[in-house]
Amino acid sequence: METTKQDRGQDRWISRAAPYLLGTLVLLITPLFLDTYGQGLMTRFLVFALFAMSFNIVFGYAGLMSLGHAAFFGAGGYTVALLKLHYDVNLFWISAPLGILVATFIAAIFGIIALRASGIYFLLVTFALGQMLYSLAWNVKWLNSKGMQGITGINLPDLGIPGFTLDTISFYYLVLIFFLLSCVLLYRLVISPFGLALVGIREGEPRMEAVGYNTWFLKYAAFVVSGAFAGLAGVLFAYYNLFVSPNHLGIATSFLPMVMAIMGGLGTFLGPVVGAAVFIFVENFASILSPQRWPLVLGTLFVLTIMFAREGIGVYLWRLWTRWGRDYGSVKN
Amino acid sequence: MEALRIKALSKQFGGVEAVNDVSFTVNVGERLAIIGPNGAGKTTLFNLINGQLSPTAGRIHFFGEDVTSLPPHRRAHLGQARAFQVISLLQELTVLENTLLTINGTKPHRFVMFRPVMKFEDVLQKAVDTLKGLDLLEKQDEPVRNLSYGEQRRLEIGLGLSMDPKLFLLDEPSAGLTKEESAEIIGIIKNLKTNITVLIVDHDMDMVFEVAERILVLHYGQLIADGDPSQIQADQKVREIYIGVEDSVDYAGTA
Repeated sequence: METTKQDRGQDRWISRAAPYLLGTLVLLITPLFLDTYGQGLMTRFLVFALFAMSFNIVFGYAGLMSLGHAAFFGAGGYTVALLKLHYDVNLFWISAPLGILVATFIAAIFGIIALRASGIYFLLVTFALGQMLYSLAWNVKWLNSKGMQGITGINLPDLGIPGFTLDTISFYYLVLIFFLLSCVLLYRLVISPFGLALVGIREGEPRMEAVGYNTWFLKYAAFVVSGAFAGLAGVLFAYYNLFVSPNHLGIATSFLPMVMAIMGGLGTFLGPVVGAAVFIFVENFASILSPQRWPLVLGTLFVLTIMFAREGIGVYLWRLWTRWGRDYGSVKN
Repeated sequence: MEALRIKALSKQFGGVEAVNDVSFTVNVGERLAIIGPNGAGKTTLFNLINGQLSPTAGRIHFFGEDVTSLPPHRRAHLGQARAFQVISLLQELTVLENTLLTINGTKPHRFVMFRPVMKFEDVLQKAVDTLKGLDLLEKQDEPVRNLSYGEQRRLEIGLGLSMDPKLFLLDEPSAGLTKEESAEIIGIIKNLKTNITVLIVDHDMDMVFEVAERILVLHYGQLIADGDPSQIQADQKVREIYIGVEDSVDYAGTA
């Protein structure tokens, strides 16, 4: 039998696509039944899901443990904020591309510096570079509005459509469009020869070099592409949060996609999205229940995940789904 | 025609001369074995030829081109393939994924970002053919770690060949294999096309004398003998190293 994965994949296509279609449907419909607070929460979830997915390319797929990913996220956000603060530019079609461009540019420079090291040293260099931006943001006057606490006064973006202003729900759908678009692009990326090569580097870099891959270049490309998507997440975050602070460039924010990706399932495509969902919604409800002690709840959840679903909650759910499919005959026809 | 020219090659680790002023040339299609007791510098020499290490002194020419300072991936593109002493296959990835990665490595589309890897029909076909040739097609979706040691060896060597190399470096291809598995590997090497130049390092003398047309003997990093198998068997210095000196009678031993 000369079957290949591709041929045999055909009959499973529906069952494999089902979680994606279901998820998209939920994201499309749910906000219609929520108040503006709920809509805002879902926007926050999408932003961080995108951020965590971008981080997953570097950490989950290529195996590069970066502790400075917020630098690109923050760079996107600060670009939006600075354009508004200094130039009164709030047109989405200018701010967003510029935000992504600035994030990509910073990733391109940081990548050259950080990828000279590997392993734990790579982690330290990315951490140091991120903290450098954090410190700049605290101390440079141009990077702050009055009060030196970050930049306030950001508005929802202007889409340049006469007679149309964004409100909470329409902004949610704008974010959703970019989220879904990014999902498609990132999915294409991880199933491409490039994506497989990143996994190969994670699993055994010396072999990849010996069979012809310029692994430095592949890691660099992954780092920069990931930075671009983190930048997009940062742009959307600035509009959602209406305020950016140096914290959004530093270690506190760099940890978020890491925790989300690990909780959801590193190196799996949808893992970080599941991780972000769990994180954002638990954070929200825990902080309502106990305004002081919510990190305790998240911490407990993180520990439980590591103990009982080490590969990630997303992977765990996926197993349940395929098992359900096998038992009830919908996965195999 | 000359495939490989090694000129006054040395590699120092701290104060140790792992490879010490070694020079030799290999002609296209030659089957050359490098033998020597443990620690003689055989694997270091392979690492220098394949680019995992750069030499302290000396030059390496590959088909006339000076490759001394080229990284491994560039040498792969020039036509070098290698089967490692410790199996280098990506254990967590499937047999098919390993095969695709190896075939893609020397193809220009290895950087393509937005086209699925499974949509490259010619590569997929070549992978299927390769695996069929290795009798591993049914296991294409198994992670490599589920394969037996012998199967992994076969796959590692088969994947090296799927790169269509001009020079194939085999580092202890029979290490840890049973007699039958070893014979299988010997069969593969003997059946290689004559335009492939083969360099073998091995402790298994049956293997070496079976496949090699020419043998180099390394001892403490130095080349002490170079000749066809009968010359090497008759060589006094080689006999001393292998038979005369008690401590180093470990040619049939483990790696």
